[in-house]
Amino acid sequence: MSELLIKNACVIDPLNGINGDVMDIAIRDGRIVEDVGSSAEVIDADRCLTLPGGIDSHTHVCGTKVNFGRYMSPEDMRAGRTSRNGSMHVTSGYSVPTTFGNSYRYSTMGYTTLLEGAMAPLEARHTHEEFTATPHQDMMANTLFDGNWSVMEAVREKDVKRAAAVVAWILSAAKGFAIKLTNPGGTEAWGWGEDVSSIHDTVPYFEVTPAEIIETMIRANELLRLPHSVHLHCNNLGVPGNYRTTLDTMNLVPDLNSRRQSLYLTHLQFHSYGGTTWRDIDSRSEEIIRVVNASPHIVIDMGQIMFGRTTTMTADGPMEFKLYMLHHNKWSNHDVELETGSGIIPVYYSKKSVVNCVMWAIGLELALQAKNPWQCLLTTDNPNGAPFVKYPEIIALLMSKRYRDQECALLDPRTEKRVPLMAIDRELDWNEIAIMTRAGQSRALGIESLGKGHLAPGAEADVAIYPIRTTEIDPSAQFQQVMAGFSRTMYTIKRGRVVARNGEVIVEGANSTIWVKPRVSHEYDLGNDPEFAKKFQQYYTVRMRNYPVQETYLPRGVCIETEADL
Amino acid sequence: MRVTLETKPRKKPNIPIEAESIIPHNFLRGTDLSVYEGNKQRSLDEIFFITVEGPAVSPDQVEVILKGDTGRIKRVGEYMNAGKIVVEGDIGMHCGNFMSAGQITVRGNADAWLGREMRGGEIVCHGNAGHYCGAGYRGEKRGMRGGRLEVLGNAGDFLAEYLCGGEVIIHGDTGDLPGVEMRGGKLVIEGSCTRPCGNMSGGTCLVFGQVHDLLPTFEKRERTQVDFRGMNVTMDTYHGDVANRGKGSLLVRSGDHA
Ligand SMILES: [Zn+2]
Repeated sequence: MSELLIKNACVIDPLNGINGDVMDIAIRDGRIVEDVGSSAEVIDADRCLTLPGGIDSHTHVCGTKVNFGRYMSPEDMRAGRTSRNGSMHVTSGYSVPTTFGNSYRYSTMGYTTLLEGAMAPLEARHTHEEFTATPHQDMMANTLFDGNWSVMEAVREKDVKRAAAVVAWILSAAKGFAIKLTNPGGTEAWGWGEDVSSIHDTVPYFEVTPAEIIETMIRANELLRLPHSVHLHCNNLGVPGNYRTTLDTMNLVPDLNSRRQSLYLTHLQFHSYGGTTWRDIDSRSEEIIRVVNASPHIVIDMGQIMFGRTTTMTADGPMEFKLYMLHHNKWSNHDVELETGSGIIPVYYSKKSVVNCVMWAIGLELALQAKNPWQCLLTTDNPNGAPFVKYPEIIALLMSKRYRDQECALLDPRTEKRVPLMAIDRELDWNEIAIMTRAGQSRALGIESLGKGHLAPGAEADVAIYPIRTTEIDPSAQFQQVMAGFSRTMYTIKRGRVVARNGEVIVEGANSTIWVKPRVSHEYDLGNDPEFAKKFQQYYTVRMRNYPVQETYLPRGVCIETEADL
Repeated sequence: MRVTLETKPRKKPNIPIEAESIIPHNFLRGTDLSVYEGNKQRSLDEIFFITVEGPAVSPDQVEVILKGDTGRIKRVGEYMNAGKIVVEGDIGMHCGNFMSAGQITVRGNADAWLGREMRGGEIVCHGNAGHYCGAGYRGEKRGMRGGRLEVLGNAGDFLAEYLCGGEVIIHGDTGDLPGVEMRGGKLVIEGSCTRPCGNMSGGTCLVFGQVHDLLPTFEKRERTQVDFRGMNVTMDTYHGDVANRGKGSLLVRSGDHA
């Protein structure tokens, strides 16, 4: 039995309605409890800001495309290096660091749980192997279904149950967590030398539209009773004028779940552009957020970009090809047989580019105009918009109008006419930031009941204590302190153990991987389905029995079994 | 001030030494510097016999002379910004990395990455240079950006890869793909080479010897006369690399010169 008592913690725990109360937190064997004995180890939080461990609900840190980003950018590997130190491994890399680099940097910022944004089921083993080498965070994987042949056939037959059965089998086989749709239909269409430019264009051969795929999958998701909703990267990412596609998509969404949203739209910044070309691109964050504010069954994340160097990586192959045609820099595209694709290119976001300035403003506008912080979560789509180490800067920008004005003064002067940002005075408060960085993620991902994202007795003892006294600083003026405070915790506690202290990683850590296994009736178990088996015999390079990821790949797997309506 | 560093005999002379501390500027504060021998940190006097003659108040008055078995000493002159370094024999990889000013003379041969991403100053190598002379390091999009790099002997493959500015002059022959991905600057090859300037987008390359396997993605233009050691030489001019919409010039001595 190990016990820990955090004394004098200034706690913000939005899921339990606690906002700045100074209290003690008792921990026994990795869980929060009512009280502990007198022999418990004691940490004095000294009235500093104490939050549930941070949760990133959309980040790219593990798997094949992340790794390809690593080896096509040796210069990035040289950009951030730390040497071995105690139990800390050597790390390297800036925008696509090594797994330990990701884990330690997240940990020193107080993050204890991450959702990998895109895992191709066929390549799931690689993702899981890297998960086990990300020791300070519990991991989950969005599983790609955007171009899955079996899914698209079910969509064509208008057979929601069949689509759900495909998802159930693949999700269990790949040990994934949620359904991810990346440019649904678009990557497959591109494989046929075509493209989709609206949600009503048809994918060649399969004769289905993105709209049909999205709607079917939202319904299939609820039939399977998955903890998270469908996680969508809309069509037309990064295309001027794409806000119409995004609005069309949001209008499709039925409200099917009372506990959480029915659709999670990721990195919405990249999907809120007006104009017709790069020359006249402008911000349509107001139109987008008006719909979000009126749709409680939708949750979005920001996908903020920050100026500087980074690497873009996505399953949206055609989009990366378009970026390559723009920059003529190094580039890679991959096809994942029968399932999806991907692409990677390095980028540099510059204050001298009016396009980049508009993008920067849009992300902030989304967060500042969203009435309900539970509906707009803080991300950069790491590393696409910026490496996650920029989160503290984003928090400071959201909390300080003065800081935003200071930054806006450095932008391309043409920006002001194209974005509403300069006219927005709102400054977010500590509670709102806590929602946007952990509580909101916990609810949106449906992991509240696992004890994530809050600090009530019974919750997992994942705690972040920041060197910030909320009653003593004015974030509007002292934004530098806000930034410094969120960059480095005094203590990061993972499952009841201190894993990082004052920016130093002190233990090796041992994380879990959370995955979902929907239980379906015999009739809908595709393990017995000859049509489904034929896909493997005829097309896949992998046999059906070799396809599932064995449990040995998840040494500390946590399986959520759901009772599907199938 | 003249600092002479003469290598001491080493038990394992094949272990490379990382010596980015050897730049004239650092000797203004004495010789209490360290280098790495493999993964072991060593003080400078464990590796070298050191003699210092005369005073100096600024780095441009410092001359560092390296003698002895110096062929495995790497990164000498990295980020050098003034003064002189003279290497009496051979020098290891990465000599003159990122240097911005001053002068390096190598009397023997230089290993790979001589003058990698250099920004200014001058390097003269009297022997041969290895691969990637004056190039950008792995993944980098910009190689040498300024200064002058002269090799009196031959150079290896990928000479001046990603050259962006400055001047590279090779008196002898080069290996494969000199000036590949070149974006600016001037590359002069007095001897022969194979497949020069693939994917170049800017800059000028002159080859006075023979070009083997000229890439088909270069467009032939009019002939022109250039001065080569006081002689008027006729050169065939090529434009390219058209495969990369390049605007570079490749000049090759024509067969029937005047
Ligand atoms: Zn993403």
